[in-house]
Amino acid sequence: MTSLHLIRIALAAAISAWTLPAVAETVVRIGMTAADIPRTLGQPDQGFEGNRFTGNTMYEGLTVWDLSSADKPSEIIPGLATGWAVDAADKTRWTFRLRPGVKFHDGSDFDADAVVWNVEKVLKQDAPQFDASQVGVTASRMPTLRGARAIDSMTVELTTSEPDSFLPINLMNLYMASPAQWRKLYDAAAAVTDPKERSKQAWDAFSRAASGTGPWKMAGFVPRERLELVKNDAYWNPARRPKVDRLVLLPMPEANARTAALLSGQVDWIEAPAPDAIPQIRQRGFVIYANEQPHVWPWQFSRIDGSPWNDVKVRKAANLCVDRDAMRDGLLGGLMVAATATFEKGHPWRGHPTFEIKYDPDAARALMMQAGYSKTKRLKVKVQTSASGSGQMLPVPMNEFVQQSLAECFFDVELDVIEWNTLFTNWRKGVKDDAARGASAINVTYSSMDPFFALVRFLDSRMAPPVSNNWGFINDPEFDKRVAIARHAFDPAERDQALAALHERSVDEAAFLWVAHDVGPRAMSPKIRNFVQPKSWFVDFSTMTIAN
Amino acid sequence: MTAAANDIIAVAPDRRARGYWSLVGRRLARDRVSTACALVIALIALSAVLAPWLGLADPYQGSMIRRLRPLGTAGYPLGTDELGRDMLTRLIYGGRLSLMLGLTPVALAFVIGTTLGVIAGYLGGLVNQAIMRTVDVFYAFPSVLLAIAISGALGAGIVNSLLSLTIVFIPPIVRVAESVTTSVRTLDFVDAARASGAGPLTIMRVHVLGNVLGPIFVYATSLISVCMILAAGLSFLGLGTKPPQPEWGLMLNTLRTAIYLNPWVAALPGVMIFIVSIGFNLLSDGLRSAMDVRS
Amino acid sequence: MLIYVVKRLVLMLPVVLCVALVCFLLVHIAPGDPLIAVLPPDDSADLAEQMKHVYGFDRPLPVQFGLWVWHALQGNLGTSIATGRPVAEEVSRAVGNTVMLAAVAAAIGFVLGLLFGFLAAYFRDTWIDRVVTTIAIAGVSMPHYWLGMVLVIIFSVVLGWLPAVGAGPGGSTSWEWDWAHMRYLVLPAVTLSVIPMGIVTRTVRALVGDLLSHEFVLALRAKGLAKTGVFRHVAKNAAPTATAVMGLQLGYLLGGSILVETVFSWPGTGLLLNSAIFQRDLPLLQGTILVLALFFVVLNLAVDVLQAMIDPRIRRS
Repeated sequence: MTSLHLIRIALAAAISAWTLPAVAETVVRIGMTAADIPRTLGQPDQGFEGNRFTGNTMYEGLTVWDLSSADKPSEIIPGLATGWAVDAADKTRWTFRLRPGVKFHDGSDFDADAVVWNVEKVLKQDAPQFDASQVGVTASRMPTLRGARAIDSMTVELTTSEPDSFLPINLMNLYMASPAQWRKLYDAAAAVTDPKERSKQAWDAFSRAASGTGPWKMAGFVPRERLELVKNDAYWNPARRPKVDRLVLLPMPEANARTAALLSGQVDWIEAPAPDAIPQIRQRGFVIYANEQPHVWPWQFSRIDGSPWNDVKVRKAANLCVDRDAMRDGLLGGLMVAATATFEKGHPWRGHPTFEIKYDPDAARALMMQAGYSKTKRLKVKVQTSASGSGQMLPVPMNEFVQQSLAECFFDVELDVIEWNTLFTNWRKGVKDDAARGASAINVTYSSMDPFFALVRFLDSRMAPPVSNNWGFINDPEFDKRVAIARHAFDPAERDQALAALHERSVDEAAFLWVAHDVGPRAMSPKIRNFVQPKSWFVDFSTMTIAN
Repeated sequence: MTAAANDIIAVAPDRRARGYWSLVGRRLARDRVSTACALVIALIALSAVLAPWLGLADPYQGSMIRRLRPLGTAGYPLGTDELGRDMLTRLIYGGRLSLMLGLTPVALAFVIGTTLGVIAGYLGGLVNQAIMRTVDVFYAFPSVLLAIAISGALGAGIVNSLLSLTIVFIPPIVRVAESVTTSVRTLDFVDAARASGAGPLTIMRVHVLGNVLGPIFVYATSLISVCMILAAGLSFLGLGTKPPQPEWGLMLNTLRTAIYLNPWVAALPGVMIFIVSIGFNLLSDGLRSAMDVRS
Repeated sequence: MLIYVVKRLVLMLPVVLCVALVCFLLVHIAPGDPLIAVLPPDDSADLAEQMKHVYGFDRPLPVQFGLWVWHALQGNLGTSIATGRPVAEEVSRAVGNTVMLAAVAAAIGFVLGLLFGFLAAYFRDTWIDRVVTTIAIAGVSMPHYWLGMVLVIIFSVVLGWLPAVGAGPGGSTSWEWDWAHMRYLVLPAVTLSVIPMGIVTRTVRALVGDLLSHEFVLALRAKGLAKTGVFRHVAKNAAPTATAVMGLQLGYLLGGSILVETVFSWPGTGLLLNSAIFQRDLPLLQGTILVLALFFVVLNLAVDVLQAMIDPRIRRS
């Protein structure tokens, strides 16, 4: 080697020593409660935790939830659609204007054809991309959607089976997957002759090479063990481009294991820490985030002939006889919001109910005596619940607490604790079915994020089983009337008012025993900053940063 | 196991008289460890049976203000659980279900398994094949798996747990019984009995059974602790006893997140399972030693 | 010998068929909706019926069973309802992880068990014997999954030496046999090894202790036969039953790891089963139970043959 050569090498080495060192990638590792990675092909399973981690990260719908504030209720805002309007003449037709310039992760354009393709993946049985496994989580959320048609490349027309003002809200559940990416994988599976098999394989391949429009892109996927997402620097909304480079999602269904993983530093963030572990978690310097969620922990009453709950005095008495504050402080370590209705103060759909739900055992006992019960003539009721389950919080201790509370007001409560899946099935079957086993109440928690989920499916008499979840067969013409008004109120302000009127009446009629709202606690390393937990099931992972 | 059993049987026929069992009994009584175990288990069992009359607090009555109190709290010597219920009471009452879940399946499996195994072992041939292959089918499922699968299918609850646990323990007992019977079958005194014109049922009942019951019984007692732990495991997965019934396995499960707040109280049900399991295991060992005439 | 093996193999076939039947029935008697994983409960009944048809659950049970067996013979165990992935692929990955865990746990358990068992038998009734027996009995008397949780708290949370959950920093697919990955195996394997260790210790102690007190052995010792000679004799005679017990324990480890895997989120067949049971994912449940059961049947056969090879007297006729 010549000396010149050596000098060149030395110079190169010196220069590289002067160059800034590569910045270490910022990574946030999250322990989820799900037992498996939620599905990554666009329509997640595992309930709302699925939407939270593999839905709203990699994908978006025409409308999305506003997750920016911790104080205001979370409402629907434009997502991949910039505006929408219902046809004044034919209220079953909606026109959606799409957001221009949006690209899928694989580089293809988002346009009206993509919307139609995604609608057909769950509605059109003979479409190649039809996937039965995705139907359950979509079609049930938007039961009135019938079809879609591209008007031009940036405009789509959606049709419903009947006028339904809830449609824009429900559309946040339909995530837009990339047709181009799917078709590429479908073509690659040309060797498979059976079209259904081929479609299945294409979707399976898609779930490993996901492509949506969201702020996060799939970077690594080990089924059942880990999902790695990296930030999408080309995301259409600059304000929501992630500040953290990589998210690692790990399933950890066992509460103690999750807590141990956080405390030992194996992860930076865990969902739903065991409430009893929270003092220890705080003591070690970790931060607990919690905020009221659109979630209700109730008893649903049987309203068939002969049910003791048909007397509104009994229903009101039950609501007045539970010390929710004691439950919150003593049993749940503060991780609960006492429920006074489905929607609390400040929510546009609350209205002004006159019946105030609080702890007033004397008033409760007075009502019960008016209804004909007393210390010697007690009312026997049986409630079905589960030992565990997503959203059920601590079902058995909480039910036992309610049991003990109601005992003070002449109720003899019997608990029928069954398995979670069975409970769900029974919920769908209704109180008249044998599966209810003589129960006159059922304890199944639910999401109250959209009008159908929060109110209509319980209060509308047409929603009785087997159609939907009006388990107790509530049949009140006034409720039906108010539901119809809300459904047909296409002006957002009018619709909100109509929903408030419906909600108001449900409280005044004490349609449920309202006990609690979950607060969705999560524990995080103090290194994570700028995180906002909104009043929602979902969070925006884009705003947070992590100190190294 | 088989070799040891063979040796016991080879010697036993000569002492088939009542003298053998009283010898075993005396040897057992002299074994301090076994006696201690027997006493501890008897104490726990007795307290479980007499629980309602011991003047204890209500095992179902709790108060949220009192939850997870530590050991030695006034009025709650062993602390309180996650719903404020007295631990001492729940542990004693829990003994009823836990002991029952540990003993009953093994007892039932012992009866059914011994019958099937002795028949299979003695008669041999096609009957043996039929019984043993059927047992093989269930043996193909590891016990935990089978218990969980059956419980998962039938649902949670005590009866379902008893059923699944009994089914789980029948195959191993049949196997041991068959193995031991096969060895006995070839011994001289059985041939003699056959030569004297005794029918198979009589031979099985009079000659074979008395000789094989011992080793099978010892094996069965070693299964009790496994059964208790398996029952606790079912509760851990949510497939066993249902709340609010006191049962050690279920309590272990519901208290496990309390381990951060009050580790000693959270450990108590596990300690009870531990003590009783050790007791049964040591007793089973002692029994085996006592029956081993040569050492 | 060969005839014995062939006979057993042939007899295994009806057993396998029955195993498949039991497996299928177990899974189908379960109450509850088989489609719970893809059909949220708040669905209309129409939709539920539609989906049942699409998935083939509305066909009569014998037909479903026949189809399942037919496909299984071709290596197709169906598709998981919850994830849409082929069951065979999921199960094979999980089996690999469980075998790894079981093998390490077996190694720890058997080595310690044999060691302790021999020690206890040779030094019978001394303090060594008592210590060893106590450890062994403690091992089989405690709920091991609970021990696992305690170990996690001690070694992960308090001391921070070992990870609490998972199968490697990058998941199980990027496994390598280096310390960075093996440290994830330590706690689960130790937890799982406790019961086999206890059982093997006690069995070996009983067997060897028994053999050592045989008059034959005493005579050998009196004649001054070297310790190794006695040891060899003892080992040879203890081998059949010891092998049988260890074989059974291996089976237990493979099938009974569900509790430990749940605590440690170890991605093996146990965790898969847990998910499948609670999600009522029938194809996955059927497939996993079938594979595990078949493993066990083959294992039992192997153990029987091995026993028969070592000691022809023990052949089952």
